[in-house]
Amino acid sequence: MDTDLNSISYLSLNYDHQPVLDHFDSALSSIVSSPSTAPPPPGPTNSLVIRELIGRLGTICNNNKSLAAGGDHSTNTSCYSTPLSSPPKSSLHSIPSMNPNSMPFPPDQGFTERAARMSCFGSGPHMAVSGQLSRVSSSQSLMDAGMTGGAQLEGELTVQESGGGANNGRKRKAGVKGKGKEASLASSGTANSKMSEEDPSAKRCKPDCKVGGKKGGVEEKNSNSSENNNDDRENKNENDSDNTDSKLAEPPKDYIHVRARRGQATDSHSLAERVRREKISERMKLLQDLVPGCNKVTGKAVMLDEIINYVQSLQHQVEFLSMKLATVDAPEDCNMDNLLRKDMHQACDRSMQQAVYPSAFPYPNQPQAGPLNSLLTANSISNMGMQPASNLPFDGFGNTSAQIGGFWEDDLQSVVQMGFVQNQEGALSSQSFQGSGPSSSDMKIEL
Amino acid sequence: MENLLSNASPHSETLIEERGKRIKLAAEVGLARSSGGRLWARALRRRLHRQRKLPQQTCIAKNSTPPLMKEVPLVADVTEEKEEVQDRMRALQRLVPGGEEMEVERLFEETADYIEALQEQVGVMRALACLLDGIESTDGDKL
Repeated sequence: MDTDLNSISYLSLNYDHQPVLDHFDSALSSIVSSPSTAPPPPGPTNSLVIRELIGRLGTICNNNKSLAAGGDHSTNTSCYSTPLSSPPKSSLHSIPSMNPNSMPFPPDQGFTERAARMSCFGSGPHMAVSGQLSRVSSSQSLMDAGMTGGAQLEGELTVQESGGGANNGRKRKAGVKGKGKEASLASSGTANSKMSEEDPSAKRCKPDCKVGGKKGGVEEKNSNSSENNNDDRENKNENDSDNTDSKLAEPPKDYIHVRARRGQATDSHSLAERVRREKISERMKLLQDLVPGCNKVTGKAVMLDEIINYVQSLQHQVEFLSMKLATVDAPEDCNMDNLLRKDMHQACDRSMQQAVYPSAFPYPNQPQAGPLNSLLTANSISNMGMQPASNLPFDGFGNTSAQIGGFWEDDLQSVVQMGFVQNQEGALSSQSFQGSGPSSSDMKIEL
Repeated sequence: MENLLSNASPHSETLIEERGKRIKLAAEVGLARSSGGRLWARALRRRLHRQRKLPQQTCIAKNSTPPLMKEVPLVADVTEEKEEVQDRMRALQRLVPGGEEMEVERLFEETADYIEALQEQVGVMRALACLLDGIESTDGDKL
């Protein structure tokens, strides 16, 4: 099982940034270690193990995905049961949509969906992930560490399914399929299935209940059309979902592929509606993470209330602190505006990251204040000449620093660093989404 | 230093207020600049531009999303609940800069990003205040 653990952690490792990997490494190893069964022979126990494991993987990747996509919930190891349904916004997020298929799966879907979803991650960069995923799953069942190549999971499953022959091409019965899959997973030794082999069977198995041309379609375009494998995988996963119901004709690849749930309307409108709802609820969960104390709250209205209160309180804090800063000694006054603007910008500056973590940084009230004090006084005097009480000296950061004087750089940096120390010491959650541009993501990471 | 302080005290109220406002403005500018790619940051910058408080170097890409009406909430079917949620959505829209033009999903995303930016700003300001307090006290000692 150790090899499995390693492979699984390796799986998560390749997912995104390094810090994420480290985090998930431990999480994964802890999770993986819990299914303590040794590689069992093919059978129901094996399927259970696999199911559990991949389910956990799914949750981890769910977290990972939300981390990547929505916020660095690095500390959020709670197993969100939400499916990886909502793709992040393609334009703004650096991570391509992880789940090109925004499938609205209920939380308790089987492992196959999660596994499939995980392997559905976008194109190129994530192929490694899916490859490892497949590696993991195969090794799970087969103690086989020999899996190579990307995007093997789907192919693997497909092959096994066809091999198992239980549910060849029938996506309706997820349960049966699941079993068939597991059996085939167990049975197939080397799962290095060629994609060619997989493709036909995958195509056969395609669930084809797709919603075309929804607004998310554009977002999905890249990932959906990028890899045939992905599509196949998605379809495979959809096949394995419990609630697959009707089948639609295979849509063009650049549409959101959504599966209709059993017993629900299958027209495109309600499907799109459901997709949207899933997206929104996922975003709300992200917000829940950000706002402290929101986890225990249930219900949209109350949660929105909390969020509103929190935003208002933050805004009030900014006002209060600005007033407080105003009451501080006069010499500092002229620098304050520059300081704040530059601080905020530097706080988000990529280059700051390297300098940022001041583990040993002395607290403001200590000796550090001495040299800073003299610097500030000197600077304020010089500044008074330069900027008569105006707020707008800001010609760009390079210029500003030239104006203020080179020695300010260190001070500002130290201030920001102290700010980060305080942030770290405070109860700020270290989450963020993978925001739109590099600046926001940097900001988050610094937190 | 002492002169400055004594000069400050008779006009303390207005002086401090004025300074506070300027500082807050600076903080806003910093905030607006901190996250260039976000809708709320763009809206904030636009607003500051309108007030001519923001130096004009940054290029403002006019955000051309059409104002979208608040969608029907996605909770259960109780009308009262829907109403409540709608109200809160609107309030949130008002809070987040540029929120009026966003639809629900977008609004949530922007809110999350905005919250993070605010948190960071608060941290920086707090650190500044601490630092300057420390400097003040040290300065007082020296004097």
